[in-house]
Amino acid sequence: MQITQVQLDALKEIGNIGSGHAATALSTLLQRRIDMSVPKVWTVSLDNISSVIDQLDSLQAVVYVKVEGGAPGKAVFFFPIQSAEAVVQALMGTDEGIDILGSELAQSALKEVGNIMVSSFIIALTKLSGIPLQPSVPALAIDMAGAILDAVLLEEGTIDEEILFIDTQLTGIPLIEGKFIFLPNEGTLNKLFGVLGL
Amino acid sequence: MNNVINVGMADLKTARTPDILMTAGLGSCIGVCLHDPVQKVGGMAHVMLPTTNGNSVGNPAKYADQAVGLLIEEILKLGASKSRLRAKMAGGSQMFTFPGKPPVLRIGDRNAETVESELKRFGIPLLVSDVGGGVGRTIHFNVTTGDLRVRTINHGEKVI
Repeated sequence: MQITQVQLDALKEIGNIGSGHAATALSTLLQRRIDMSVPKVWTVSLDNISSVIDQLDSLQAVVYVKVEGGAPGKAVFFFPIQSAEAVVQALMGTDEGIDILGSELAQSALKEVGNIMVSSFIIALTKLSGIPLQPSVPALAIDMAGAILDAVLLEEGTIDEEILFIDTQLTGIPLIEGKFIFLPNEGTLNKLFGVLGL
Repeated sequence: MNNVINVGMADLKTARTPDILMTAGLGSCIGVCLHDPVQKVGGMAHVMLPTTNGNSVGNPAKYADQAVGLLIEEILKLGASKSRLRAKMAGGSQMFTFPGKPPVLRIGDRNAETVESELKRFGIPLLVSDVGGGVGRTIHFNVTTGDLRVRTINHGEKVI
């Protein structure tokens, strides 16, 4: 699918507003400052997937929420494991080390973080487009980032040679970094461009 | 000094001794490895989906039902003998489960099943496999020995 410059700018703006809401939600939740990069809207070919996730076998906690409704897609948060621990620590108001893999409470807290962030993203996207959207129940995986990304990409049993990512880097001060990715499903881009008159 | 050759998603590579073929972060994807122990050559394909299923093929290494045949062709070019070829594979996990929703498509399992039946179709013995479960895997395939080193985050590392 060919995307014009105007459409690309619109997607960046959608990413900007949506991710901005998600970052604000995280900031409110954790009571700390969260900075956000300018969203990157880019198409990546399969053999170049490592440009999305630097280290495909790095241990990360990933929250995956499906965006359902008129403009479906996938919202995915990648937190390097230390950052995920920092998020849970900030939520629970503790400095003690947390073993995320071993703690169901920590895992459920992370899912809730994902849920709140995606809901904020969705509310922004719905306001902007007028298309009603709902989040699915969040799913969490703690494993190699690349393995998790491939499972998200392949879930429907099909995959294109090139994938469009709307990709925002989040940085909390101190010590939290994360990546928020929105992957529009097939047809979603056209739907969004349609309602935006592009 | 052995070269480590990276095999990306939907990619397929062959190598001669003493090189190592590796792919990082296999989830529901499968790393299929072929080896000729006499010629000391090997190949690896990073398969993503079971069958082309009427999709325009694009990159054939992406699909289990295309990649195995192609991998055989490529490894024969390095002087391997088809009758000596043997296979190993790893990957095919289910990384996510949504509460209350059984995974309908089971991509990982179906990838493994399709690779297995393709190997059978070409008459290549599958010596060993490490597939399924819910873990990511990084694999290194030594084309000299045919050893396949499988690293996971929570279940350690093993050589199969």
